[in-house]
Parts: sequence; structure tokens; C-alpha cells
Amino acid sequence: MTTSSEDVLLQMGEVRYKKGDGTLYVMNERVAWMAEHRDTVTVSHRYADIKTQKISPEGKPKVQLQVVLHDGNTSTFHFVNRQGQAAMLADRDKVKELLQQLLPNFKRKVDKDLEDKNRILVENPNLLQLYKDLVITKVLTSDEFWATHAKDHALKKMGRSQEIGVSGAFLADIKPQTDGCNGLKYNLTSDVIHCIFKTYPAVKRKHFENVPAKMSEAEFWTKFFQSHYFHRDRLTAGTKDIFTECGKIDDQALKAAVQQGAGDPLLDLKKFEDVPLEEGFGSVAGDRNVVNSGNIVHQNMIKRFNQHSIMVLKTCANVTSAPSTMTNGTNNANGPVSQSAYTNGMNGKGQATATATKSSSDQVDKDEPQSKKQRLMEKIHYVDLGDPILEGDDSANGEKAKSKHFELSKVERYLNGPVQNSMYDNHNDPMSLEEVQYKLVRNSESWLNRNVQRTFICSKAAVNALGELSPGGSMMRGFQEQSAGQLVPNDFQRELRHLYLSLSELLKHFWSCFPPTSEELETKLQRMHETLQRFKMAKLVPFENRAMHELSPLRSSLTQHLNQLLRTANSKFATWKERKLRNTR
Amino acid sequence: MEADQAASKEAESCIDLLVIVLDTNPSQHFVRQNPQNLTQILEAVIAFGNAHLMQKAQNKLAVVSCSHHATNFLYPLPRRQVELRQVDGQYEAFNLVEKTVKQQLGSILMNAPRLSAPCESLLAGSMSMALCYISRLQRNLAPGVKMHSRILVVTGSNECASQYMTFMNVFFTAQKLGITIDTCALDKTLSLLQQGCDITSGQFLKVTQLDGLLQYLLWVFLPAPQIRHKLVLPPPPKVDYRASCFCHRELIDIGYVCSVCLSVFCKYSPICTTCHTIFKNPGPLPIKGKKKKKTDKQM
Repeated sequence: MTTSSEDVLLQMGEVRYKKGDGTLYVMNERVAWMAEHRDTVTVSHRYADIKTQKISPEGKPKVQLQVVLHDGNTSTFHFVNRQGQAAMLADRDKVKELLQQLLPNFKRKVDKDLEDKNRILVENPNLLQLYKDLVITKVLTSDEFWATHAKDHALKKMGRSQEIGVSGAFLADIKPQTDGCNGLKYNLTSDVIHCIFKTYPAVKRKHFENVPAKMSEAEFWTKFFQSHYFHRDRLTAGTKDIFTECGKIDDQALKAAVQQGAGDPLLDLKKFEDVPLEEGFGSVAGDRNVVNSGNIVHQNMIKRFNQHSIMVLKTCANVTSAPSTMTNGTNNANGPVSQSAYTNGMNGKGQATATATKSSSDQVDKDEPQSKKQRLMEKIHYVDLGDPILEGDDSANGEKAKSKHFELSKVERYLNGPVQNSMYDNHNDPMSLEEVQYKLVRNSESWLNRNVQRTFICSKAAVNALGELSPGGSMMRGFQEQSAGQLVPNDFQRELRHLYLSLSELLKHFWSCFPPTSEELETKLQRMHETLQRFKMAKLVPFENRAMHELSPLRSSLTQHLNQLLRTANSKFATWKERKLRNTR
Repeated sequence: MEADQAASKEAESCIDLLVIVLDTNPSQHFVRQNPQNLTQILEAVIAFGNAHLMQKAQNKLAVVSCSHHATNFLYPLPRRQVELRQVDGQYEAFNLVEKTVKQQLGSILMNAPRLSAPCESLLAGSMSMALCYISRLQRNLAPGVKMHSRILVVTGSNECASQYMTFMNVFFTAQKLGITIDTCALDKTLSLLQQGCDITSGQFLKVTQLDGLLQYLLWVFLPAPQIRHKLVLPPPPKVDYRASCFCHRELIDIGYVCSVCLSVFCKYSPICTTCHTIFKNPGPLPIKGKKKKKTDKQM
């Protein structure tokens, strides 16, 4: 093993594999097993290939550990320590715990890659359709697709990642299992431990102080669960425990945060005054000392809620200020609350802590009205509207009030439409209007006469009108466009739409290669040309043949435009290639 | 089966109201050519109205006449009813419609003031009256009864530029109330009424031969708006929505709009002639960012 470049983290002798004795090695990147009296490694599995590990249940005479790979294969190792059953169990637990620590690092990397691609396809239906049309039919290879066509989505995804929060039920998800003799066994994963540290920074500090110097990892977590720290309602009375002072530390942090205040004067509720009456009505200044209910259970519950809210706000502030920085419990417990981004001119004074001196507090109080006024001014100021009118400026206010009087002239122009081009012309009339009115009156006298022959419509006029209103008539010129959409079935429309999407995507990359000013662009141009030819043979020609058979009225007119797009690209490529050959010669 | 019964009950309790606005202005071109044409148009409109009543027992009809001097209801009458005698071979309700309309229109023509020059038809006012009538019927409906209303305008007049604002108010009110406006143009293309038909999902039709008016009405306008999407009807023409400038009264494609009083102009002017606002001069665009300048001008 001296020739290997990997570090051996754990070496376990007396391990059997397929009836053979040997030694099990746990290394940086793999787990390996070497048979006795041999120089070569018989079994070797990278951590990236391991999906999970299993152990034989308790009570079984055989003590085994099984490694399950992603491809479905398994390797079973049998521990056969001669010192007895307890030694076998101890040997296997060592290997199991070490693998438990190492596997998540590799597992996350492997699963993350496929998960990202799958999520990108799920979130973008168009991209999924493009993947089906181009990759499954072998027009493009999978690597080409992700490197070229889906590059924007991958980049967009990376820039938008954010920190994962803590589930509200993460402690309830820790279900202890009984180990058969009146005891409880907790299985803690690294994610659970991370959540505990994030929720209880004091516990994280205790863990840093005690492990591994004073106690082991298992002992620490045993004491943690035994202390019922996370079940209590923060009653500080109780036995002496390393977690007893955690409650006190949290109380001190809460008081420090309250004294720190909100930082932003416009967001500080304590500085708000709510006077229900108008001035001069003898209202007393609002008494802010709310009567305490005296119920200690209520106080502790409210305290717990406030503590949780403060932790959430700190997490948001830390993520905003430094996304790459991990949450530091020590600084969070004692450090100041991050200032609001809207504070202008107070960034220097925002660093004041609970230990600020009296003169500093007076300075802050004096500057707060100016800061608020400045922010309000910025809110109501627009560049193109000029400076807003302030109440203090009396002369300017009076002058502008005069100019703002709204007077409209020529209001009738709103009421009229465009001037009509043709007035009523009298030249062609055979009689004057008076004669027309006289004849109308004469005609109306005979309207109620039953004996007069009444003509509604003659047959010839009706047939002519029907001719105009039928398809093909003079009034139905737009009818042909509607019927074209009805001749194509829905599945043909859907497939045609997918063809247009795929071809447009390929042509976009093809035309972006022009002008081919570099060797890389020329190579890409050649590759895109070949891809277009494969697309035509794999997707377009079968669709065209099917349309030729099933859609007799339209035949090849359905794919006429697609073929035109391809011909244009082919002629462009041929022209470029001919010109390149000429330049070479 | 229960769905069919529910649909049947729905159809029984639904009322279709048709209000016909009939232009009786003597200044219309086809009336001056031959006054007998108005008689033919009147017969066609009455037959069309009776055909609408014949479709369903719950259907309602109203006829409004529009002239150069007044707007009158031809049918139904508010108080008195026309005396009817038994006529063999005609349904009594149809006879009532015919007699009432003809009698009222004859009286209107008899008492109309004399004309010496052509005048505009008060179409916008008539349509407003139709909207008020529909609104009153809508308020007096029994609970659970639905009413679909539409207005059919039969006119041969020219464009009415002086009624532009009233037309726009009528169109937007009809759109708000869900009332469809149909137009049967007998002489010229009317762009204003085209806009109204377009925004209320109505049908605009310019007839090419006056003799076949009844056939056009029955074929295009007799179906209710709710079932027209199942029929193949003449496609709507392209609607001209351009605004007219305030200085020349001409339709413009690109213009200037005052941001204070929304007046439309075809040429730039530093002072608005409607509200006397002084505009800021459009100077060259700044190369570097925005600079805050103190100015008393607005635009």
C-alpha cells in the first residue's frame, strides 16, 4: 500500500468476501477489499458509485455489511473477528460510521448533476419537448444538447440558487427506535445536525467546546436529548447540566437584541406615537407601559416566539450581506443586528452596539429626523417633474397655486370627430327635399290599406343576396382562411408546432455562426450544417410523407415553409464553402 | 337527461330583446332617389321584427325611429293600444306590430318640419334612447329571468361627425352592459359604427343591393349573438380606429398628445391651445445618465 496515492482512513482485518479471508480498506475515494496472500485489490468501489449501505439485523449470527451500488450490484462483507461477537459488531460499526460520514459528500455530487438536468427539463416544457425531438431521435448527442442548447438554462439556474431554510418539523422527524432493552436509539444525519446548530447556536457552541476533547460525539448527543432542552419552555430552574446555561445565554442575546433596536427609524415601532384625538383636545400622551398579564406561561411563550423571529431575521440578513459565509453562532449571539439597506448616511452610526455611550445615543437621536426627511424627499421626487412643493416655502407655493388653475378653451373640439369627406350633394337628386317629403306622406297614407299589393322581396333579389352570403361570395372573402385551420387535425397541428420549435432552435445556432471569423465558429458551422441535415432526414421527411398520405387537400403545402427555411440555410452554407475553397486556392 | 332538462328550463326563462333603430331621415340618398324605397325598407324591417318574435314566445321587440328632428318609439307604445280588427291569415301579435309601426311612422312623417337642405340623422340620440329602454326593462325583470339585448341600426346616412362624443359614450356603455350593437349600412361605409360593432362583438354589414334587404336581415342578423360563433357569417372588415387631430379634424397615424388635457395634435406646438400648458422643449438626449434640473415646465 505504500505505492498508492490515496490515504487509508481505516484498515480492518479479518473480513470475508465470498468465502475468502482478507482485509477491508476505507480510503479517501473508495472502499476496497484485498484477499490474503495476494498483492492486487480484488474488490474496489468508488464512493460515487455506492448508492447505500445495509447492515444485518440484530440477533443474527452473521455480522455483515452490504454495499449497494447504483447499477444494482451489491458487495457483502462478513466480519469474522476471532475475539467474539462483540468484537465483530465493533469492527462493523466502525466501518459503517466512517462510510456514513464519507458517502454523503460523493452522493450529493452525483445526484446533483442528474437532478439539475431533470429539474431544468421539468421546469421548461419547451426545453423538454426540444430534448425529445432532438436527442431521442439522435439528431444531437446528449452532451451537445446540454453544452449548446441548454447552456442558458444551466447558467440561469446557477445564478439563482439560494440557501435552504430549516424545516419547522425537523425535530419531529427525528423518530427514535427502540433497541430492544428499554432504550432509545436516535439516528442523526449530518443534515439534522446542521439544522440543530442553525436553530440553537448555543448548542453549536457547546458542541465546539466539548467535542471531542471532553466527551465523544455519541455522549454529547445523548446528553442533548436527555436534557430535554428542545422540549422545555425555557424555565431556567433545574438540575446542573451543560445545557442549562444555554437558556441563560439565549435570554441574554434576546435582551441585547431588544436594546439594539430596529436600527431603521422608520421601522422602529417603539418610536411611533398613536394619539387618537386631535391636538388641543386634552389628550394624554400615549402610555406605552402595557399592563403585564402576570401569567408566566404566556410570557415564556411570547419570549419563545420573539427569539425564533430574531433568529429568522438574522439568517435573512446574513444571507443578504454575505451569501457564502456560514452562519456563525458566536457572532449571531452577541453581534449587532444588520442595518437596513435603506438607511442613508447612517451606516457609520449603525455600528453602535448596546454598550453605546450617552453622547453617541444623543447624536443618533439628533440625526434621525434628518434621515427620515431625506428618505421621504427621495420618495416623492421625480426627475422630469421638478422639485416638489414644500409647505414651508410660502412665496413659491402661492405663485405655483396661481399657475395651476386649470382653464380649457375650445372645448367643442373634444366633441367632434373627423370632418366628413362627402356632404349631402343635391346635384343628382331628381326632386327637391320638399317634394320628397310630400311623396313620403302620400305613400304613408296607403300603408294601412289592405288592398294595396305589398312587396317584401322578389325571388331574384333574394337569390342574389344568398349568393353573396354563401362561401365564395363577394361578402365572404375571408372565409377561406378560417377553413384552412379546420382541415388540419389537432395532432398534425401539434406535431407541426414542435417541428417549427426544433427547426427554429437549430437555425438560430446555425445563423449565429455567421460571419465565421474564427476556427471555432467554422467548426461549429460545419457541425450545425450536419445537424440540420440529420434533422431533415429524421423528423421532417417522415412528417412530410405522412401529410402526403393523410391530408389530401393540402399535401406538401403544409411543410413548404419549413423546406424553404432549410433551403435558405443550405444555400448559405454552400456559398460560404465555395468562397472558402476559392480563398484557400 | 337532467342536463337537457336544465338547458330547456334555462332557454324557457331567457328573453331575447331586439331593439331596431330605423333611420327615417328624408335626407338619405336612397330616399331622395326614390321615396318608394323607404316603404320597401319599412316592410322588410317589420317582417324581420316579426320573424324575431316568431323564434320564441318570450322574445321581445322594440322599434325606434330616428329622424333629423326627433326620436320616437314606433313600437311598443307606452299607454294606448291600436284598435285591431280580425285579419284572416295573420297572427294577432304580428298584426299589432305592423299596424302600430305603420300608424306611428305615418303620423311622424305627417308632422315633420319641412326641409330645404339635407340634415344629419340623430343616430347617437336614438341609440341612447334604446340603451335607456333596455336598462329599464333590465331593472324590472322578475327574479331568475335573464335577458339578452341587442340593438340593430338600419341607416343610410353619412358619417355624423358632430355626434362623435355621444357615439363613443353609447359604444362604451353598451360594451359595459353587454349589449351587442349590429349595423346594417344601406348606403356608405360608416367607420364610427364599425368601431361600435367591433367593441361590442356585433356584426357590421354594408348591403350591396337594396332589393334584397330582407334576405340580408334574415340571414345575418336574425341569429342571436350567442349562437353566431356556430355559423359562418361575413368576416368583419378592418376597423379604422385612428383619432382625428384637434386643429385640422383629420385622421392621423402619429401625433402629439397633451399630457394635461389629452388633446390630440398633428404638429408639435410649445403651448397647448386647449389648456394653455407650456411644454418643455425636446432637447438632445443626455449622454451621461439623468441630471436633476430645476424647471417650471411640464410635459
